[in-house]
Amino acid sequence: MSQTDIEIVVDDPTAPEDDSPSVVSTRTIEIVVSLLLLALAATLGYDNWRTGISWDSTGPEPGYFPFYLSVILGGGSLYGLVSALLSQHGGSQTFVTRAQLRRVLAVFVPTLLFCLAMQFLGLYVASFLLIAGFMRLVGKIALWKSLLTAFVFTAVMFVTFDIAFDVIMPKGPLEAAFGR
Amino acid sequence: MEAFGLLVQGFGVLLTGKTLVLMMVGLVLGIFVGVLPGLGGPNGVAILLPLTFTMDPTSAIVMLSCIYWGALFGGAITSILFNIPGEAWSVATTFDGYPMAQQGRAAEALTAAFTSSFIGSLVAVLLITFLAPMISSFALKFGPPEFFAVYLLTFCSFVGLGREAKHKTVISMSLGLLLAGIGMDTVSGNLRMTFGSAELLRGINFLVAVIGLFGISEILLTMEERLALRGHAAGISLRVVLSVWKDLPKYWVTLLRSSFIGCWLGITPGGAIAASFMGYNLAKRFSKDPESFGKGRIEGVFAPETAAHASGTAALLPMLALGIPGSGTAAILLGGLMVWGLNPGPLLFVEHKDFVWGLIASMYLGNVVGLVLVLTTVPIFASILRVPFAAVAPMIVVSCAIGAYAIQNAMFDIWLMLGFGVVGYVFKKIGIPLAPFTLALVLGNRAEDAFRLSMIGSGGNLKVFWSNGLVGSIATLAILLLFWPLIDRLLQRVGLARQAKPVSGQA
Amino acid sequence: MRAAIALAAALCSAPASAGWEPTKPVEIVVAAGAGGASDQMARMMQAAIQKNNLMKQPMVVSLKGGASGAEALMYMKSSEGDANKVLIAYSLIYMLPLSAKIPFNWRELTPVSVIALDQFVLWDNAGGPKSVKEFIAAAKAASSPFKMGGTGSKREDHVLTVFMEQKTGAKFSYLPYKSGGEAATQLVGNHTESNVNNPSENLEVWRAGQVRPLCVFDKERISYTGKVTEAQSWHDIPTCKEEGLDIQYLMLRAMFLPGKVTPEQQAFYVDLFHKVTQTTEYKDYMEKQALKPIFLTGKDMVQFLEEDDTLNKSLMTEAGFVAK
Repeated sequence: MSQTDIEIVVDDPTAPEDDSPSVVSTRTIEIVVSLLLLALAATLGYDNWRTGISWDSTGPEPGYFPFYLSVILGGGSLYGLVSALLSQHGGSQTFVTRAQLRRVLAVFVPTLLFCLAMQFLGLYVASFLLIAGFMRLVGKIALWKSLLTAFVFTAVMFVTFDIAFDVIMPKGPLEAAFGR
Repeated sequence: MEAFGLLVQGFGVLLTGKTLVLMMVGLVLGIFVGVLPGLGGPNGVAILLPLTFTMDPTSAIVMLSCIYWGALFGGAITSILFNIPGEAWSVATTFDGYPMAQQGRAAEALTAAFTSSFIGSLVAVLLITFLAPMISSFALKFGPPEFFAVYLLTFCSFVGLGREAKHKTVISMSLGLLLAGIGMDTVSGNLRMTFGSAELLRGINFLVAVIGLFGISEILLTMEERLALRGHAAGISLRVVLSVWKDLPKYWVTLLRSSFIGCWLGITPGGAIAASFMGYNLAKRFSKDPESFGKGRIEGVFAPETAAHASGTAALLPMLALGIPGSGTAAILLGGLMVWGLNPGPLLFVEHKDFVWGLIASMYLGNVVGLVLVLTTVPIFASILRVPFAAVAPMIVVSCAIGAYAIQNAMFDIWLMLGFGVVGYVFKKIGIPLAPFTLALVLGNRAEDAFRLSMIGSGGNLKVFWSNGLVGSIATLAILLLFWPLIDRLLQRVGLARQAKPVSGQA
Repeated sequence: MRAAIALAAALCSAPASAGWEPTKPVEIVVAAGAGGASDQMARMMQAAIQKNNLMKQPMVVSLKGGASGAEALMYMKSSEGDANKVLIAYSLIYMLPLSAKIPFNWRELTPVSVIALDQFVLWDNAGGPKSVKEFIAAAKAASSPFKMGGTGSKREDHVLTVFMEQKTGAKFSYLPYKSGGEAATQLVGNHTESNVNNPSENLEVWRAGQVRPLCVFDKERISYTGKVTEAQSWHDIPTCKEEGLDIQYLMLRAMFLPGKVTPEQQAFYVDLFHKVTQTTEYKDYMEKQALKPIFLTGKDMVQFLEEDDTLNKSLMTEAGFVAK
């Protein structure tokens, strides 16, 4: 990745404010996660119960271990759920503040869009858009620097994977237009 | 000492200008594929394999083994700098390597990783040189019960280590084991937990999960706090290198223990992945200050790297002597040998002496040359951290996506990666440890298969795990480790009360 | 790196034949893990094609052994119309859809050619019984059932084990390992009493005198008479029928393209693999691994596949391996 060694110096433009209001508490998240895990444990447990959970003459059936594991997982999550519900006073810890959430979304949403774009545009075009867009919009880096970095990085990836190593990556209409 | 004479002869074959050049080329290519996201060891070696088709067998194998070395060295780089382990056995390196990089000690961590890789593989090569025939007969002693005992030992060395609430460790490990079970169950040939989905048929690939859990979630976490990777690249690192080396003797117990674990698990076919975890766990368990692990302790880099590379190297032994590859990369190498009509097996050491000793000699040389090569390039790799986060973050995301996709050429894996990214973010924030999860995901299936094969073999009798000295001692050791905190406390109490009452083993 | 690529490109200036040619690297999809029989064969073809300049584009081996090979089948199924992927198939194309209800039918793919038939041999440890009769007698007399190693569950090895039980009345407990190589070493280490590996999978341990071939599951003996061990050639192994165990099974090794490719694309690969079977690499490989050379394509191939499918289906049904 040495091609990105062009020194670009920027300072952190927006350090997160300390007094940003809390969006959700750790306790709430623990409860939600415990419930989700409980649901997962129930689903997997049911599926394994259908597969067979007994111990026959040749040892355990395919569903045996996963079934008891889902029971253990369910138990663990239930314990987590109960202890989160009971810890009334200790539950005021902040999971994420509004400023933090905004920043997490600032990277999560582009990543999500990138994954989506990849289905239609192929990996390389999507990468170019992600890098250029992210550098410009989130990093507030000069447009030409963003475009150049994105282009160089994507091009290097394309040359290494597609041309040199024959690794097949998802491609879109642009690559098709060039006959690759 | 017949081995020694043959080894000298092997060096003779290698020390020509042409082979040395090939060696350098192989190493550089190997490091390159090791660093490239998603290529890593096995894929990288597979891709470069055809390059050697037009060479003569000796040159080809020298080049291939150097690619292998390079990839081994390269794997540590992404683990430390970006928290993205390239191979399963690099996972444990991230536990302390990445925090070190965050504290601005990237160069130190890299030096530690490379040096311990060197030591680990050197010990293993020495072992191969002098004990090859004995070891291959030892490896044959491993049937399903023995395999299960080894996996059990790895799991047991893990339990009770974390500071996290116990139920969270339980959640993490059982979730990992469950997800490992998705897909085809090899023992019965039935599908399970796939809900009729063709995508889940493949099962959840370990690397895809790890790329999401560690790589993507790390981006989210970093972003939450600051817009820059913390830490600055070290200046010229000769000083750093020397200072790390000066401290090396202090960690001789860790290095020796990890080398031993690595060699032992490496020659146990398929045990290589367990080695790095076990090396790390034991270092932590027997440390005076276990709390400091996971926060950027250099010993936490030494321990898994030494073990991983000792086992990665030792894994070549069962491959050569028995034809069973100990790791993914070794498996590809095996394919390469077969193209050359060199069929690994017990006779390889007899019929192709010159080849085998040439290969072993190239391991020594490749290892030394590789160490120099990676150490001189540490500043280059460490300087990546100087690039602004807003530029590095999307590049890491792209790299993760390439990696996740390349493993199985599946778009579904991209979504899995993203999902695991969110899971990793949330789990880290509410204190559910990720290490047991990854360990379970890697070893869960193998442990279950080994257990069930043992049961089929013994007709459902659990006594099979104490049926001979080998399996019995491993299984007992596992149980002892599981209850070690309890035993430790008991011993202390007994010692304090100055009672000479013997403590009976609890099996 | 670039120089190497340029060189490789220059070397590959094979004469252009009329019609379609791949424009991208061609993937050989292997429905098994690294180092297995399919992988070895794929690497052999990769080397044969590259060394003899049979194709301009490079060939890459892609291992898709997940879910006992089902991953490769689903991958081929979903690659409809993509003529840059060829599957190296074996009997799993009939068996997996039956045993694990995988939504796959080989008729959805485009058959290219059958390139070899693989044998199955009954092996035991060199320290074990010396003939089939002694082996069966020992298995019947044993207090706990003999352990039979094999690859995968409810597949060819398992079917053979069930048929041996039916024909002889002896009981076996079948241990499904991940690969034939593993089954071989487990036999050498005395963790199992026998296995039914393909010749290639046990070749090296046989040559080292660690295992003994008891009989081959075919109508006739293997034709290769060159000495493999000091005393024996493949031809010296008796057929199971000669030894009073009347079971026969041969496994195909065949190439398939994904569905909905053009006839020109199909023709290119038929020609390519025909050329491969003419190379010395292929011939050496066949002899070394004791494979039966065969080349079927077009109507002959389809007829062969249909018959083979019916046979496998009836075997699977009899063995009780068809999922309800």
